[in-house]
Amino acid sequence: MLNIVIDGQPIEVQPGTTIMEASRANGIDIPYLCYHPDLSISGGCRLCMVEIEGRADPVPSCGQACQDKMVIHTQSKQLSQLRREIIDLFLADHPLDCVICEKAGSCLLQKYAYEYGLTKTSHKFNVSRSLYQDDNPFFVRDHKYCILCSRCVRACSEIVGADAIEIVGRGFESHVATPFDGPMIDSTCVFCGSCVQVCPTAALMPVSRAGKGREWEMERIETICGYCGVGCKIEYALKDGEICYAQGVSEQSVNGDFLCTKGRYGWDFATNPDRLANPMIRRDIAYQLGLTDEPWELPEISPLKVRQPKIGDSFIETDWDTALNLVAERMKDIVQTHGPNAVMGLASARCTNEENYLFQKFIRAGIGTNNVDHCARL
Amino acid sequence: MTNSIHEIRDADCIFITGSNTAESHPVISYEVIRAVRRGAHVIIIDPRRIPLVEHATLFLQIKPGTDIYVFLAIMHTIIREGWADEAFIVERTEGYADFKVDLERYTPEYASLVSGVPVEQIEAAARIYALGGRKSGQSCYDDSHGHSMILYAMGITQRSNGTDMVMTLANLAMLCGQIGKPSTGVNPLRGQSNVQGACDVGCLVDVFPGYQRVTNATSRNALAQAWGVETLPGEVGLTIVEAMRAVSDGSVRAVYVMGENPMMSDPNTNHVEQALRGLDLLIVQDIFPSETAHLAHVILPAVSSLEKDGTITNTERRVQVIQPVLPAQGNAWTDWQIISELAIRFDKQTGRERNQGYWQYNSAKAIFEELSGVTPIYGGMNYSRLSGEGLQWPCPDAEHPGTPILHVGKFSRGLGKFNPVVAHDPAEQPDEEYPLILTTGRVLYHYHTGTMTRRSEPLAWREPRGYIEINAEDAAHVNLKDGHAVVVTSRRGSIRTRAKISENVPAGTVFLAFHWREAPANMLTQDFALDPIAKIPEYKVCAVRLDNPRA
Repeated sequence: MLNIVIDGQPIEVQPGTTIMEASRANGIDIPYLCYHPDLSISGGCRLCMVEIEGRADPVPSCGQACQDKMVIHTQSKQLSQLRREIIDLFLADHPLDCVICEKAGSCLLQKYAYEYGLTKTSHKFNVSRSLYQDDNPFFVRDHKYCILCSRCVRACSEIVGADAIEIVGRGFESHVATPFDGPMIDSTCVFCGSCVQVCPTAALMPVSRAGKGREWEMERIETICGYCGVGCKIEYALKDGEICYAQGVSEQSVNGDFLCTKGRYGWDFATNPDRLANPMIRRDIAYQLGLTDEPWELPEISPLKVRQPKIGDSFIETDWDTALNLVAERMKDIVQTHGPNAVMGLASARCTNEENYLFQKFIRAGIGTNNVDHCARL
Repeated sequence: MTNSIHEIRDADCIFITGSNTAESHPVISYEVIRAVRRGAHVIIIDPRRIPLVEHATLFLQIKPGTDIYVFLAIMHTIIREGWADEAFIVERTEGYADFKVDLERYTPEYASLVSGVPVEQIEAAARIYALGGRKSGQSCYDDSHGHSMILYAMGITQRSNGTDMVMTLANLAMLCGQIGKPSTGVNPLRGQSNVQGACDVGCLVDVFPGYQRVTNATSRNALAQAWGVETLPGEVGLTIVEAMRAVSDGSVRAVYVMGENPMMSDPNTNHVEQALRGLDLLIVQDIFPSETAHLAHVILPAVSSLEKDGTITNTERRVQVIQPVLPAQGNAWTDWQIISELAIRFDKQTGRERNQGYWQYNSAKAIFEELSGVTPIYGGMNYSRLSGEGLQWPCPDAEHPGTPILHVGKFSRGLGKFNPVVAHDPAEQPDEEYPLILTTGRVLYHYHTGTMTRRSEPLAWREPRGYIEINAEDAAHVNLKDGHAVVVTSRRGSIRTRAKISENVPAGTVFLAFHWREAPANMLTQDFALDPIAKIPEYKVCAVRLDNPRA
């Protein structure tokens, strides 16, 4: 173990720990834009500079490994001045659209401009990037907000392995690009939106939230994704009861900031108008029960052969009592005539433990059979 | 999984087989990528050139159904070369001597002949896996050899010898001592959000909650007492595919389906449809009018996972709490409310007297309290302990911290047993009439039978239509070009879809995802040969023919 001192606080760290990591683990805030705990060190933004006693110049804390007996200062007049100058340079190339920007409230550049008291740049203001790419329904790329921190590029390569984007060009020409600046769909992008989540500014934004509201207006609810078995934790941001976007949850989750395309973008099925809203009884049964005057027979054609079958053509809506009493009565008839093993229950790998537990309890202790299975095999 | 998801990034070698991880479990593939970036080796054994192959050190492209020969030859090589972990075998296992004898005939040369994989690749895979070799960088672990982790999914299990396949992977891990330590183990990646939990809480034909056998009188009586019933059935029930057969012969008359779509997900759709149409009662409880719902007598509308609370259990056995994000749609109820109301009415109909409120619960939490009381592996869990990151079972008591790694120091049965396995070929082999092997699976942008993802705008935009992946050589035989319509026929049925000429499948093999109602893959799959123990259908191998409708 190494013994270091950060801002007067004695700290013990493992060899190989960076100053940034040691500070974060001990609740000491160092500002940064390009650093991300899950990504490799870029060292490009220079905002995380700290002073080490015995060294003439400040060093970036993200890339500097701790050494035994190091004494580090993360705050000083000189560092503040240095950081102000860096933010000043970023602001020279970044529109101050905070009044209308949807990232406002969670934008890192805005946060540090506020903390270091900059309202505008002292340099010549010139936004060098103007590309605006809304070529897909997942996310928008608005390059004028990009600060070239390369977090998106690193996430795409180091976490997702898709390598869909790269920083191309030099100087003011440089920007994050797919091959030949083509549409996202023609690249190796898998639309997981990891880039969107790690973007510190509004350069990458989910399409679903456009015009829906500001960060501070949103209610946030955490739950577990309902798709595959990985069990990613997802935070949904809602306004007026409507989901605006979804993102990964860094803390206490199997996934951290990262999700797949289904988890991050595939939640809109929930409000699809096809959702079943009321219990339904098939028309031939409804006719037998006198719930409709029209006789009807189940067509011989497979529902798979009908292009867009309408459920209303074959079923009538009813209330819960009617539907459940009908089911209970028919089930009783079958059990009494043919025995409990004439009933089969198919539970669901998409329902909760509580629901599946109750389902098998009903089949076993209610009906009296072990004919209960689910799609574990399918 | 015997181990945990976050351990993957620290592995020295990751052995992936029968799992298209990047498309079916993308977030687990992110862990694999992290390991690769730190210098781990990745070995992939699969008939398809799946996306992760690009990051792999070794890709053993097998003819579908021949992987068993390759696994056996890998073990043959490990023993021959002295790479087996003798100390682990002596201390932790039994049955090794017999097992070893059985392996003698499975040489790499023999496996190579059957599978098409070069001998050198089989031997290299054996060495890297056994010793946990790295490409570069330093291991996180300072043992005598590196840590290798096996990841597998339905490509291994959806086979007429699926149980043998899983036992083979377990044998391989034991042979090399690659189990019971971090970043090792035998790790099935489960395909649905709560498939693990549905198994844990007893939605299986032969076990009660917590995997207690229905045939064991002691556990049966204990559960009967806990549930306040005189007896519980002691005869193993019918699995899904068996039930479909029983429907055809009239012994099953009613099917209650909660959140499943057998018309799309079960093998041999024509047979499934015929069976379902013959039922006296088909109840479908779902969130969408699925293909199965169209054949139901009664449809009960349920709320989706975004609209309810409760717990679900992920592939690493982690029980986590879910929260409602949206209000219920229309008059839909949670599934537990529906079951509870139905059970009350069923008792009333049959005149069964029970304690007041027997089927009534005031919350999902109240059900969990009962569930954890009768499910020993969940015994120490409650909602307050599960908040945050949840707990991994077994967690038998309130002080137990959960179990991130299984089989540490000791297997659940004591000594790990080597089960000798004999290689079996898939039940249906290609012939002159049906010359190609069809294998089925998922694509990245869709999930299972597509009821949810095909109704998601962005996902449907990215992948709007189904297709069959065909190697250029096979396509040329029937004069097919990319994007052409193609008719695919098996002994069970026929579908029409689009051809996607792809080098991802070798000549002789075609791939079809089962998300597409317009081209339902399971119209073609076979239901006659199930795994004798798990009763799982062989979705991964059946014989088909391609026809060009323009010809």
